[in-house]
Amino acid sequence: MSLISLMGALEIGLIFALVALGVLISFRILNFPDLTADGSFPLGGAVAAIMIAGGQSPWLACAAAMLAGAAAGWVTAWLNVRLNILQLLASILVMIALYSINLRVMGAPNVALIGSPTVFSPLIGEVSERAMWVQPGVLAAIVVAAKLLLDAYFASQSGLAMRATGANPRMARAQGISTNRAILTGMALSNALIALGGALYVQTQGGADISMGVGTIVVGLAAVIIGETLIPSRSLWVITLATVLGAILYRLFIALALSADFIGLQAQDLNLVTAVLVGLALVLPTLKAKLRKTVKGNPA
Amino acid sequence: MMHAKGLLKTFNPGTPIENRVLRGLDLHIETGQFVTVIGSNGAGKSTFLNAISGDLLVDSGSLHLDGQDVTRQNAWQRAGLVARVFQDPMAGTCEALTIEENLALAWQRGERRGLGRAVKAELRELFREKLSILKLGLENRLTDRIGLLSGGQRQAVSLLMASLKPSRMLLLDEHTAALDPKTAAFVLELTDQVVAEGKLTTLMVTHSMRQALDHGDRTVMLHQGRVVLDVSGEERARMDVPDLLAMFERTRGEAITDDALLLG
Repeated sequence: MSLISLMGALEIGLIFALVALGVLISFRILNFPDLTADGSFPLGGAVAAIMIAGGQSPWLACAAAMLAGAAAGWVTAWLNVRLNILQLLASILVMIALYSINLRVMGAPNVALIGSPTVFSPLIGEVSERAMWVQPGVLAAIVVAAKLLLDAYFASQSGLAMRATGANPRMARAQGISTNRAILTGMALSNALIALGGALYVQTQGGADISMGVGTIVVGLAAVIIGETLIPSRSLWVITLATVLGAILYRLFIALALSADFIGLQAQDLNLVTAVLVGLALVLPTLKAKLRKTVKGNPA
Repeated sequence: MMHAKGLLKTFNPGTPIENRVLRGLDLHIETGQFVTVIGSNGAGKSTFLNAISGDLLVDSGSLHLDGQDVTRQNAWQRAGLVARVFQDPMAGTCEALTIEENLALAWQRGERRGLGRAVKAELRELFREKLSILKLGLENRLTDRIGLLSGGQRQAVSLLMASLKPSRMLLLDEHTAALDPKTAAFVLELTDQVVAEGKLTTLMVTHSMRQALDHGDRTVMLHQGRVVLDVSGEERARMDVPDLLAMFERTRGEAITDDALLLG
């Protein structure tokens, strides 16, 4: 694998680390199976692309993308807590609706950003070779900041209330926590992070495309599962770290699998490789436990 | 002070499995009183407790806590007034959180939760001090997950959590039913201690007539969603389990067939 493709994989991995942190909040902390991601990731991308193309600051575009994502997550949560629509179904409804909304936002199936300023361009300047280092560098800084902010939030009174809401809602209510509000806030936070991922994605890929969201949730979930399989822990700052590493490792695996000529895999095999990888990560803990049992049973 | 008047609650109304659980329940509890509640299965004990905590909203009737009308408030809105220990040790605590995080949740019961750190150093000191009262060595395990604790330990922590902040009403929902006899005795002793220290207005549901008479200062019996027996003071002090049984049978004009009540 060349250095360029390695750095490319790292770059995408870091972007999906943001998505994975969002998925961690919905699936693991709130216990809310949420597929909104497939719509909120391209929503973030669409909002950012159209704003940058319209001459706005790329950072402002990222902020607006996060707000849009937060709104999407909030609507999913609202459908669930206020209208009692099943969690999965509520998120599918929002995901489908977002497809139309994204087309409306972009005004076309795709928006090109070639030559437009991005959050990376001030550091790249005129030397386009620098992009290989600058883009992963800036993304790493954003991901680290997001991880640390999340850690701090989940150690706060409000963050602890959110964790209790996901783990034991009845107990949370008995302690005076409005579980509905915690779910609304958490889902907004989750999808804001995912939309930020989308906003940064379009800036590294040179444009937004209506189909860019397909499979986002699977990749995010894959990262979470790989992370918790490799570094099992109950401590929250370790879990967020594992999630970030899971996302990066996932992209590196994929890049490795697709670039190794002797395996004969090609770019179109991406989804198959993903499925196999997630499957492996899911059975690994069971296999490990079985192995340990066998070893214990027959002390050799 | 708690004042419940004409509480009505029907599950699945208008269907073949309609169940009228509360049928005009009246009960007044003075501030500082410790009331034990008995009754056979389906008498409405748990429903009554859930109605006070706000887990269930009653169909009609009114409920006042310290003069405040809470009839239409849901559980999290009245949490500042009501503290609770559940029957299931798993229900009252958050398994995935640490002991200190669980206590921190209870420390802010019914209060606004902001972005400040949930577990601060001075709070940790207070938790350590409170936990040492339990004599379970938990004061040295603040950062252990609560899921690592036994059922009895968790129930003791639940009790501590319920008494961490002042409440107008402490609800104990058969909180020793899931424990072995020795642990149950320990938790009950702790209950008496906590209630006496805080002079807490308490409602304890129990399945055991023995417990109902040995603890607290007033005993009420529920039957078919109503209070059918209410004893306190001298009369109660002279009572024993067979007397209670006899009174119950006389009141209802029928024999008790629920073994659980007799065996408790």
